[in-house]
Amino acid sequence: MDIFLQQLVNGLTIGSMFALIALGYTMVYGVMKLINFAHGDLVAASAFVGLMIYTNVLGGSISLFSVIAVFLLTAVVIAIVGVLLERIAYRPLRSAPRLSAVVSALGASMVIQNGIMLLWGPQMRIFPDLLPQVYWEVGGVIISLIQVIIMLLSFILMTGLYFFIEKTKMGTAIRASSIDQDAARLMGINVDNIIVLIFIIGTSLGAVGGIFVGLYYRGITFNMGWQYGLYAFVAAIMGGIGNIPGAMIGGMLLGLFNAFIAGYVSSTWFYLYSPHCHPYCPTNRYSG
Amino acid sequence: MKKKQILLYTAFFLIMALLPLVANSKWLAVGTTFLIFSVVALSQDIVLGKAGMFNMGQALFFGLGAYTTAILNAKFNWPLLATMPLAILVPALFGILLAGPIIHLRGDYLLVTTIGFNIVFVQVLQNNLGGITGGPNGIFGVESLSLPGLADSPQTSAFYLSLIVLLITFVLMHNLEKSKAGRALHYLREDDLAAGAIGINTRVYKIFSFGLGAGMAGMAGTIYANQYSAVSPEAFDFVQSVLFFSIVIVGGSSIPGILLGVFLMFVLPEIFRDFATWRYFIFGIAMIMTMILRPRGLWPASFGNIPKELIRGDQNGR
Repeated sequence: MDIFLQQLVNGLTIGSMFALIALGYTMVYGVMKLINFAHGDLVAASAFVGLMIYTNVLGGSISLFSVIAVFLLTAVVIAIVGVLLERIAYRPLRSAPRLSAVVSALGASMVIQNGIMLLWGPQMRIFPDLLPQVYWEVGGVIISLIQVIIMLLSFILMTGLYFFIEKTKMGTAIRASSIDQDAARLMGINVDNIIVLIFIIGTSLGAVGGIFVGLYYRGITFNMGWQYGLYAFVAAIMGGIGNIPGAMIGGMLLGLFNAFIAGYVSSTWFYLYSPHCHPYCPTNRYSG
Repeated sequence: MKKKQILLYTAFFLIMALLPLVANSKWLAVGTTFLIFSVVALSQDIVLGKAGMFNMGQALFFGLGAYTTAILNAKFNWPLLATMPLAILVPALFGILLAGPIIHLRGDYLLVTTIGFNIVFVQVLQNNLGGITGGPNGIFGVESLSLPGLADSPQTSAFYLSLIVLLITFVLMHNLEKSKAGRALHYLREDDLAAGAIGINTRVYKIFSFGLGAGMAGMAGTIYANQYSAVSPEAFDFVQSVLFFSIVIVGGSSIPGILLGVFLMFVLPEIFRDFATWRYFIFGIAMIMTMILRPRGLWPASFGNIPKELIRGDQNGR
């Protein structure tokens, strides 16, 4: 029973992260009908940007202010990158064949991933302890402060997003654009602005997810975007891609599934990639 | 046009055939890699370019062929060339089996499913299923074939073997384009509903393209195992499939375009070694720029001998 509750807590924690990242995929797909392959790499980039903001801008001081500043500044930086990405790589291809946009997204993913590598180097970096390492034991289950913050903040963000999408005028515009772009345009909705808005929301949520990944797993590498991006992508698919509450539930389910498989069966069958595997490995294929 | 094409291909093969006389063993290895990946990219083109199905799992079939050769050669001591028929047959059968249940999926959904297949495949290899795949390290000690007269230089043998395989692939691609099946695939890509309406069995031809593409990729797998004398799971993971997918689309799904794509991806970084770390960064930018400036690829494919004045819009009616 202890292991069950423990894995439930772990599963909900990673599930929250997957769900936050999955929202970026699903929202973009909903409106643009495009799998944004670069989203996972933006998540990885946000962990590095968070690290840089913490050490270089804030000077490495730990306080409530610096924690909030890291989250907010990273979200802003990554949202700007996301909007630029849409402007440069996706907007010119809005009317092009589907495959062109897919390849452009793959190219953008390569550029961001290798941009991280060129800026911060190929080696693993350790994400700083933004939050104190506090643990509680509740009925035989160990819960850390980081897990509580991840679950709480994800819950707040996702509830907020749900009400934004369902209850506000802008949310209605987003839903209308995802049903039928042309009809939405006829109703006076500026679909271009909606797409920019989608990218801002999706990438900021992904940025928060990226910082969570850094906080929870500690080690961050330039190519981890593929791994977490793929998990989140699977979560988005499980929830029905384009469906916002579906992505939240899909993320949670995948997280729980992941934790229970790791707890009861074996973890080797659940790694999508081994940590030693380097997608887009910069080392030379022909040497040796 | 026709004569020019034949001349171009003959020149290409002559230059490639003479390469071992001037190149040292390092450049010969680069050349062999170019030939192997060209075969895989061309096999990807059958499914993606010719039939228009979003397959992002071609590395699976490539890997299946390479592993078939490696297992039979290193563990059961079959001669290398004897493994090739099985290395073609096993991936082709798998291609047909895997494509069967998913073939009705369209666009992105097929893409996602094939990514899933590729990930499962790599997982199976890494977990050493049945104790024969060698786990994360793969299989070592695949025999290097020596062609008659080239016994002292295994690298030259590997190069010529790859060249022969590429030649076979060229003949296959050419015949496919001229055949009933090739025309069926072309119409399928244009509009599979209309293709069905004019009496093409879309399901059979879609599965056929998967099987053919998989068999060709498996053939490339044999020469890959021969060239590196080892196979390991990460050489066939999903990222490799992404590269082949991009090469076909960026190249424009024509033979010269795809060869150009493979050259840009695998040979150019060797020439500019100082920029090796910038390789994927630059290739990514090139992918975005190509798609924006030439949405149909660097060297777009044309089909048949339809006179220009009969085509509305561009060649593919897009």
